[in-house]
Amino acid sequence: MLTFAFIPFLQLNDPAPNIVRSRDRARNLVCVRVEPLQGAVEYPGRIQPPRPRGDDADRSTLVCRERLLRRGLRAPRDEAVLNTLEDRAQDVALRVSSLDPALRDRTWLVETFYDHPEVLDKISFATQNALMAQGLSVSDRHPKVAPGDVEVLTRLDPMEAYPAACARYQATGSVSGTDALLALVALDRRATELQAGLCVDGRWTWLP
Amino acid sequence: MLLAALSTGCVRVYHPIHGLHEPVIVDPTLPNLEDARVSVHCVPGDLLSRSQASALCRRVQVLFENQGAEVSTVTSAYRSPDDPFTPSDGAPPADEQASEPDTDAPRTELTVELRARQTHLSYHPLTWAAWTLTFTLAPGVTERTFAQDIVVRDASGVRLAARTLEGRTVRRSGAGVWVGNKLADWWWRDADDDLTSANADADLSADLYGQLSQIVFDAKLKQQVLERDVAARRR
Repeated sequence: MLTFAFIPFLQLNDPAPNIVRSRDRARNLVCVRVEPLQGAVEYPGRIQPPRPRGDDADRSTLVCRERLLRRGLRAPRDEAVLNTLEDRAQDVALRVSSLDPALRDRTWLVETFYDHPEVLDKISFATQNALMAQGLSVSDRHPKVAPGDVEVLTRLDPMEAYPAACARYQATGSVSGTDALLALVALDRRATELQAGLCVDGRWTWLP
Repeated sequence: MLLAALSTGCVRVYHPIHGLHEPVIVDPTLPNLEDARVSVHCVPGDLLSRSQASALCRRVQVLFENQGAEVSTVTSAYRSPDDPFTPSDGAPPADEQASEPDTDAPRTELTVELRARQTHLSYHPLTWAAWTLTFTLAPGVTERTFAQDIVVRDASGVRLAARTLEGRTVRRSGAGVWVGNKLADWWWRDADDDLTSANADADLSADLYGQLSQIVFDAKLKQQVLERDVAARRR
């Protein structure tokens, strides 16, 4: 009977919910399945490479890590945005770098419009890094508009406000002819995707 | 007799690996898509038989209709991944079910393509050997990893969003594992954490439909921004 009681404790290294791992603990893991060749490179000594004549069975390893912050510690929207930030920043940078080649010579400014300043800074920083990784020159300068302009712009519909702000940036010289501004905008509190807009020579374009 | 009955017992758990357990902000019970017309394409193949694809489409149709969208569904055989809208017989894909068309306001046209793949299957033969030798007291384990590919396009076929959600199911069979977990369910697990109930299916459905709602909402917003941008340029 004693043996019987301990049998469910087998396979405890499996990250799926089991006799000692609750559903919540299992959901706090982010996992990826890696093939032996890739695993041997990324985790040498822990994952064996495939044998020279091939493995007997189809082998792969599930590599899991705990989330940096426990689920529920950050607001769900911040969590959703930050969890995928690196991928999304790289995606935006790739789209920007594939635009008009003449834009590659400009100095890129990044401006993020998001509710929480801490998250906003992280988004801007990740995007600046991703742009630099694409070989673009990036400045951490923030374009400014006059307080009177802000009062007008905040009353406009977002679809009109950003183009108008772009025009003002150029008129005031805040974004000059040698600069290009990439703006990341949270348009709806229910969205986890930020919309990317481009301000070049006073003209505003939403990136597809 | 009792042992024979217990030996058929199994505990099936669902484990989200990637994307499925990300936070969802939209509330699927609210009208998030009332300004959208969504065509849901459930593509049979690999993990999805034609009838399963059809069942999935029906559920997704209800999910989006509950959020105010006008929905049509398509479950056709597709010629190739590069040409997803051409069915194998050359005829245009017929809508199997469609909600009543709404002619009041212009709606954002979206096409959602759903595909499911099995990316890994393992029977863990040693566990099944132990299962046999111990008369099902040791658990026999079968593990599957699946991927759900979701692509959202606009009316002209331009891709607005693409995500792959991954999860796995682990099935542990045998009298030992079933009794052990049943006792744990009775004694110390919360109802939400029960492993011998239908929680696995409920969790998988909640995750998948939540993520679908979020992805389609984000895609709709992006499409509306681009549509308004194009309209503003024409003025």
